[in-house]
Amino acid sequence: MDVKDFIAPFAVWKRAFEKPFTVKKPIDERPGAPRYRGFHKNDADACVGCGSCEAICQNAAIDLVEVAGRSPSAGDSGLRPRIDYGRCCWCALCVDICPSGSLTMSNEYVWISSDPEDFRFVPGVDPKPWDSAELGYKRAEGYSLLDKERVEMPELPHAEGVASFRELVKGYSRELAEKEADRCVECGLCVASCPAHMDIPGYIRAVREGNIDEGLRLLYETNPFPEACGRVCTHVCEEACSIGVQGDPLAIRWLKRYIADQVELADYAKELPRKDAPTGKKVAVVGAGPGGLAAAYYLAMAGHEVRVLEAAPKAGGMLRYGIPEYRLPYEALDKDIAYIESLGVKVETSVAVGKDMDYAKLKREHDAVYVSTGLPAAYKLDVPGDDLSCVRDGVEVLARVTRGEDPKLGKKVAVVGGGNVAMDCARTARRLGAEVDILYRRREVDMPADVEEIVESKAEGVNIVVQAIPTGLKLGPDGSALVSWGRARMVDQGPGKRPLPELMPETVREVRYDTIVAAIGQGPDLSFIAADAADGLEVKRYKPVVDATGRTGDPKVWAGGDLVNEKKDAISAIADGHRAALAIDRALRKGA
Amino acid sequence: MRTIPADIAERFEVGPLVSKRADLSTLDVDAKDVPELLARLRDRHGYRHLSFVTATDQIEEGVFVLTYMLHNHADNHSLGVKCRVGRENAVMESCHLLWEQMWTYQRELKELFGIDFPGSPRVDESFVLEGWIDIPPMRREFDTREYSERTFPTRPGRSTKDPATHMKEKLYPEAL
Amino acid sequence: MFEGVKGFFPPPYDPKEPVDFGSGKFLKMWQGPQHPGITGNMSLELAIAGDTVYDCKTHVGYLHRGFEKLMERRLWMQNFPLVCRIAVPEPDFNEYCYAAAIEELAGVEVPEKAKWLRNLTLEMIRLASYLMWIGGQAGAFGHGTIIQWSATMRDYVLDLFEELSGGRIYHMYIIPGGVRSDLPEGWKAHALEVMDTIEKNLDDIELVMFHNAVFKLRAKGLGVIPKDWIDRYGITGPNARAAGFRRDLRKDQPYLVYDKLDFDYVTAEGSDAYDRAKVRLGEMYQAIDLIRQMLARMPSGGEFKTALPNPLHWKIPAGETYVKSECTRGEYGFYVVSDGSDKPRRVVVRGPSYTHAVSVMETLAKGQNIADVAGLMVSLHTYPPEIER
Ligand SMILES: Cc1cc2nc3c(=O)[nH]c(=O)nc-3n(C[C@H](O)[C@H](O)[C@H](O)COP(=O)(O)OP(=O)(O)OC[C@H]3O[C@@H](n4cnc5c(N)ncnc54)[C@H](O)[C@@H]3O)c2cc1C
Ligand code: SF4
Repeated sequence: MDVKDFIAPFAVWKRAFEKPFTVKKPIDERPGAPRYRGFHKNDADACVGCGSCEAICQNAAIDLVEVAGRSPSAGDSGLRPRIDYGRCCWCALCVDICPSGSLTMSNEYVWISSDPEDFRFVPGVDPKPWDSAELGYKRAEGYSLLDKERVEMPELPHAEGVASFRELVKGYSRELAEKEADRCVECGLCVASCPAHMDIPGYIRAVREGNIDEGLRLLYETNPFPEACGRVCTHVCEEACSIGVQGDPLAIRWLKRYIADQVELADYAKELPRKDAPTGKKVAVVGAGPGGLAAAYYLAMAGHEVRVLEAAPKAGGMLRYGIPEYRLPYEALDKDIAYIESLGVKVETSVAVGKDMDYAKLKREHDAVYVSTGLPAAYKLDVPGDDLSCVRDGVEVLARVTRGEDPKLGKKVAVVGGGNVAMDCARTARRLGAEVDILYRRREVDMPADVEEIVESKAEGVNIVVQAIPTGLKLGPDGSALVSWGRARMVDQGPGKRPLPELMPETVREVRYDTIVAAIGQGPDLSFIAADAADGLEVKRYKPVVDATGRTGDPKVWAGGDLVNEKKDAISAIADGHRAALAIDRALRKGA
Repeated sequence: MRTIPADIAERFEVGPLVSKRADLSTLDVDAKDVPELLARLRDRHGYRHLSFVTATDQIEEGVFVLTYMLHNHADNHSLGVKCRVGRENAVMESCHLLWEQMWTYQRELKELFGIDFPGSPRVDESFVLEGWIDIPPMRREFDTREYSERTFPTRPGRSTKDPATHMKEKLYPEAL
Repeated sequence: MFEGVKGFFPPPYDPKEPVDFGSGKFLKMWQGPQHPGITGNMSLELAIAGDTVYDCKTHVGYLHRGFEKLMERRLWMQNFPLVCRIAVPEPDFNEYCYAAAIEELAGVEVPEKAKWLRNLTLEMIRLASYLMWIGGQAGAFGHGTIIQWSATMRDYVLDLFEELSGGRIYHMYIIPGGVRSDLPEGWKAHALEVMDTIEKNLDDIELVMFHNAVFKLRAKGLGVIPKDWIDRYGITGPNARAAGFRRDLRKDQPYLVYDKLDFDYVTAEGSDAYDRAKVRLGEMYQAIDLIRQMLARMPSGGEFKTALPNPLHWKIPAGETYVKSECTRGEYGFYVVSDGSDKPRRVVVRGPSYTHAVSVMETLAKGQNIADVAGLMVSLHTYPPEIER
């Protein structure tokens, strides 16, 4: 101990003359740091109500609740997170995971209320003073808990793809499928958008957990065409995917395909449920497209005896005769159909109802009838010369290719139309070695075809000419076609309306093609229902009028698929078939 | 590559030395050998520091795995000595004479897992759970959520909706 | 014969004498859980005769939240905001050990930048924690000024944390896979300024505390830990270094970027409360130095988090590991067992207080003057939550 030890402590006194560290009262606002994890904010319009915040919150502080003025719509549950500040610890994991990026935090941290209930609130819905705070915790740039990028699908290179009809998409390996399935947050927003309301989160979980049998079982609960739909489904579900708000949506379609691809047909019966005991009831299905066969599958599962009548030589409908092989190989489709047939469903091909079989007799011999005859009649171009032999209809061209015939399109082909059928025709023609122009009336953004189809077509060398309106056709001297077409200008139709194309007559010119393929749509053909056999079945604008279950005015007859619905895709036809099958089953059991 | 010292391999039936990292290995041993083995490791092999002792409930196999984490400061290597004791009437020999903090671990294991260490000082005194009457809570079968729901009232006013179910109810209730 | 007033003067301390409350000689006294001289929510059950402590039992359980058990019920990622709470004044060691353990089990490589940022926060929290401790240590000997300075200095460090991580106390910054963000704009300059301020303050503290007759008289010779206790009791950290042991995990088993930094062991020989305090003071200066080194040498920009699987489904391969780091009090470690599922099978938190506050404290307290118990306790620098996880 020395003297210093007695004197040094007095050094504290020097502080008496220094500015104190403490802040004088009244304390001014002391805002939280720019990254402060303060009270929550939610951009309620950007939020999709997926509940990932609820799932990750380890304090169980979040509930998803209904809020005034919001109802569910495609890709939005209408629910919004309510946070219980009696539980929250401001960890911001909810902010970190939020797929839409709508949930953030303000830098506000003072909130006084004597009512404990106040501290349970729906950010962005219950107005709060900090709603407009600019500062506060947000995910840092380059930081994310979820993988926003889809696992890339191995595909044939374009040059190789266009050289043959080989399938373009190779399918995921197990590793890739599980990686893709891992991106799912299981919110289930997609289920409502799927016309068949498939248990999408369920089968994605099955993929993730390597539980393929369970996956197959879940698929067949709502869809007996997993191989086909896993390849060509319009996948509207993916538009609803919450991950898709800020990233690539889950590859739901590819994952479905992955499951079906993993199981050999011979093993299906082991994994899938057995059918019910026979009921002794007989049901006839007209048309062996996906809709008709889906109905047949669920009817057979319910124990009914099912007989399917199909005009074409093979079952599958437009999946076989429309969709080209490079998108949906026949083996894949055959696998789906073979399983349905293995349940005892009898498909009688090359039997056209109305021609080879009487509709009235069919009704008499069966307890119920399901009509799913699709849209067999192609629309004409409706310009002078549209009946020339060099003008072909798209579906017919595709059907010929399916049957293994050469459609003889020649070297230079024009496809008229902007939908998926037009793209299929154009890409098929490219594979047959032709040079292809697509002529479409409106702008590219107006094309009804899927964006990926447009992109792929272009990549395969299809020349897309937009705002092009054919005005007439003539036979050229060498048997080829001379197409007159002119440019269209888009005429504004006022807000919210699609602009209409209007021909600019001065631009019309003549171009020579070997073949013109019309792919502007197809219509139904119900001529097989003779007027005296309608029994109350009402047809409006070429379509049978049906109730919510697909039942027509004739209590014995249900109808669905392309023939009836507006969506005109395979999964909607399948959903129609399933719904009708359940209704028919109910009706038959009640009657029994 | 580290190997099991010869004198240990000779005397005890020990499992393989599993290397987790350059500075961490584990060694499976028979429960009855633990005290003597620990003493040997401490006195002859430089593992003089005891980091911790703990149990892992492997309920599916009906055992508790006890882990004695030792450390050798001289060559900066940690060794987890592991043994298994049956979950039913779990008893383990006390090693409180080896390290001065050992009895605390044993007392904790008795309270939280129900593993007894006869002869260990104050082993029956409660450690963190004064007045606890339920089963030892670190056992896997003790369900914290069930316990808290049973014990504490839930604050009313909480309810949540599942997005997919809600959408079904609102958008397509007719589907099955 | 005059025998004096019986019991007026306390009898001389006889360590052999059994504590028999029936004799009327002993008094049972609780120090804590409500006591300013206790570190955190724990209590010492003291048996005293006169001013002398005859027996001491440490009681914990006042803030048992069952972390280890709770973790078994939560997803791997969900535990990340939970672990920081196991040691309030130094949450970051928990964050680091937990993250590093599951990264090791999952085979995840952390970006270089994240290692620097993690290391930076670990030294920042070392400084903050010591600043809180030194206030407590001075206060325990009746010196109330130091805490007023050091608490302010600590708050300056917390300001830095707030700017960096969005939280002052629970930073939740070290997340499995990396960290949650890079340094904010202008942060480095602010940090360097704060380091200068704190360094100046430490000079003042050193002057008025370590050259202070009262502190010297009371701390010197108090709670001497003999050298041979270090391994017998599992003593680590400054408590061991003050006994002359050159042991520091940052140097012995370097993790993060410690092997790229220039520093040495801080040791002392006296092994008493005074020397332990000196070691900690030295480590405060050291932390400032390390922070400066890191700020100068840390790569700018770059990735700070590795992409991990979806936190809602993340499964960690079955296995076990023990990851440790040198916290302010010594060996802080996480022993993690995975059964291959999406939740841990077992997480064990090894904190130095487990032995420092129980076996060591109970033994050292015997024979002490009751007035020194608080100072002794603080000189061991213990945090009860890591005992009763
Ligand atoms: C070129 C093309 C590409 C397409 N691409 C896709 C796609 O990528 N994704 C997608 O989801 N959808 C696609 N579609 C649509 C999809 O193929 C249909 O929505 C789906 O096939 C409709 O099923 P369905 O059962 O209603 O009718 P269809 O599949 O049309 O089946 C009707 C069946 O009924 C038969 N039939 C008709 N009349 C009679 C009769 N009187 N007697 C007996 N049998 C009869 C027909 O021969 C046919 O087999 C495409 C369609 C076409 C034409
Ligand atoms: S901040 Fe953390 S505790 Fe609070 S609601 Fe979000 S996830 Fe839950």
